[in-house]
Amino acid sequence: MKWLLFAFKNVLRNRRRSLITIIITAIGSSAILIGGGFALFTYDGLKQGATRASGHLVIAQKNYFSGEEESAMQYGLSNWQDIKQRIEQDEHVKWVIPRIQLSGLISNGEKTAIYMAEGVDPEGEVKAREFLIDKGEWLSSTSAENEDAQILLGKDLAKSMKADIGSSLTLLSTTADGALNGIDVEVHGIFSTGVPEMDKRMLYIDIPTAQALLDSQKVSTLHTYLNNTDDTEIVAEKYRAQFPDNALKNWEELAFYYVGVVNLYNRLFGVLGLIIVIIVFFSVTNTMSMVVRERTREIGTLAAMGTLPREILRNFVLEALVIGIIGSVLGMAIAGGFIIFLENAGFMMPPPPGRNVGYPLLVYFSGQLFVMTTIVLIVISVLSALLAARKGIRQPIVDALSHV
Amino acid sequence: MDTLVSLRNISKTYHLGKTTVPALQHVSLDVDASELVALSGPSGSGKSTLLNTCGLIDTPDEGEYTLGGESMLSRSSKELTMVRRNKIGFVFQSFNLVPVMTAYENIEYPLLLTGMRNMERKKRVDKILDQVGLEQYQQQLPDQLSGGQRQRVAMARALVKQPMLVIADEPTANLDTQTATHIIDLMKDLSRRYGTTFLIATHDQRMTERCDQKITLVDGKINTNDMQITADSELNKGRNG
Repeated sequence: MKWLLFAFKNVLRNRRRSLITIIITAIGSSAILIGGGFALFTYDGLKQGATRASGHLVIAQKNYFSGEEESAMQYGLSNWQDIKQRIEQDEHVKWVIPRIQLSGLISNGEKTAIYMAEGVDPEGEVKAREFLIDKGEWLSSTSAENEDAQILLGKDLAKSMKADIGSSLTLLSTTADGALNGIDVEVHGIFSTGVPEMDKRMLYIDIPTAQALLDSQKVSTLHTYLNNTDDTEIVAEKYRAQFPDNALKNWEELAFYYVGVVNLYNRLFGVLGLIIVIIVFFSVTNTMSMVVRERTREIGTLAAMGTLPREILRNFVLEALVIGIIGSVLGMAIAGGFIIFLENAGFMMPPPPGRNVGYPLLVYFSGQLFVMTTIVLIVISVLSALLAARKGIRQPIVDALSHV
Repeated sequence: MDTLVSLRNISKTYHLGKTTVPALQHVSLDVDASELVALSGPSGSGKSTLLNTCGLIDTPDEGEYTLGGESMLSRSSKELTMVRRNKIGFVFQSFNLVPVMTAYENIEYPLLLTGMRNMERKKRVDKILDQVGLEQYQQQLPDQLSGGQRQRVAMARALVKQPMLVIADEPTANLDTQTATHIIDLMKDLSRRYGTTFLIATHDQRMTERCDQKITLVDGKINTNDMQITADSELNKGRNG
């Protein structure tokens, strides 16, 4: 304890210089915490988005993910209701939602365009996903028999079809047998995804309508939503054993955007962190070198009195430790203040590439990141001190004592 | 009396570029335990080299050095550090106190190195603070003390571990006459109390006169007249006794 007290007193010896070093360490620490926290916030947002979109696990026919369908629903799931029933009994599972992927032509009588559609269970989907309905309403669970089937149109597709709520349109597609089939639909709502390319092509219909259009009782995929994302792998393993004839992918395998962003940010913030660590290293090394040079005579005195070189080294290491700890804690305080400020300021980030909706600028505080940053900065400070003090303690005592 | 310091045929040469400077030339010397020995001589005569050798912070090129009957020059650097830690104290001309430590902490430092228990350490520091008359200044930092007070702290620091030998390099050089006299009296007193041998490099005539033995170095050699004077003085002391 005495040695730590002496180290603290020595740090206060040249207050201005120590303060500058502490501030550099604190800025480095806060930059890592803020940068890392922003990355974590982004990862979390994308992860939630990805799991909401696809569910945690997607079960399909064996060749669905790897093969190219020659006809509609060639690789569809025929026993999906049985699988759904079995999965729904699992305590880890929140919802199981079937979906049908299809494409074809949409026409208003005057103009025809290509569409990409998703056949959904209206009741199940609203529980799992959020839809940004610009106009009208989400699909009803059941349409009256004498009414046209309901459809939800992407806003740019609606614009292209000059359609509004209540407009009648015709969907054309090829059936599972390869025949051309058509169905009249009524626009029940207009939605926006935030991705212009999707808004130009995308539409939603209910599963019975999609099945009628494709003339098939199959669905493309079953999307399993779990209570806890962390259980994904455990549950996946279980289902792989339970349904060996089916293909199964987890959300991460399907979230290409998420994986791309994570890889990009990890590299970006990794390089940033490395630069910060190097700056802190040189700053502390510079300070400790000056400290050692200024205290050469003192080092000689302590050595003459019987202090071992490693004990002298320990004193400098403790000083660097004090600087590293104070700098890291100050860095945490700066980062904490900045995070609180952002939460209250309500700043928005511009839309990412390929999207037209921005998102709030928020930063997560991660205790794990703080501990890691503090450890790295302390190790860097201690290494700097060792490097700087090593030269000082190697000097012959007589030379050190006569140092002016 | 037992011989504490014994130097035999000690030589040391410094190499400054292409020039060689013989600092000590075949110096042999015996110093008894509890003696106050004054080491004088002109600048460059080898006083500091001799002190550094005796204090184990410099190594001679040749010769033999025994301290308390134990040979020193064959020891490793770590062993020499441990000898200095336990058996040798230093008093420097410029005091060399650690500026961030209080007077108390400066004195306590050598005891911290020995790993002495807290209570024992406190007892020792309090006692020596009392003996050097600095009780009321114990919480002062060195720059809050006068030159004389700083040198007293330095002496207390050297003596607190009760070493066999204290090496003092010009301990009164930076002090005024009155303070220097006090310091000389104090050294004499502490030497008597602790039975410590003092090896003092000095130009101060008053100090030289009050020492038990005076050695003059000239060009790295001991002036043999001094040895003779000291021997005569010892003989007279014996006769009178």
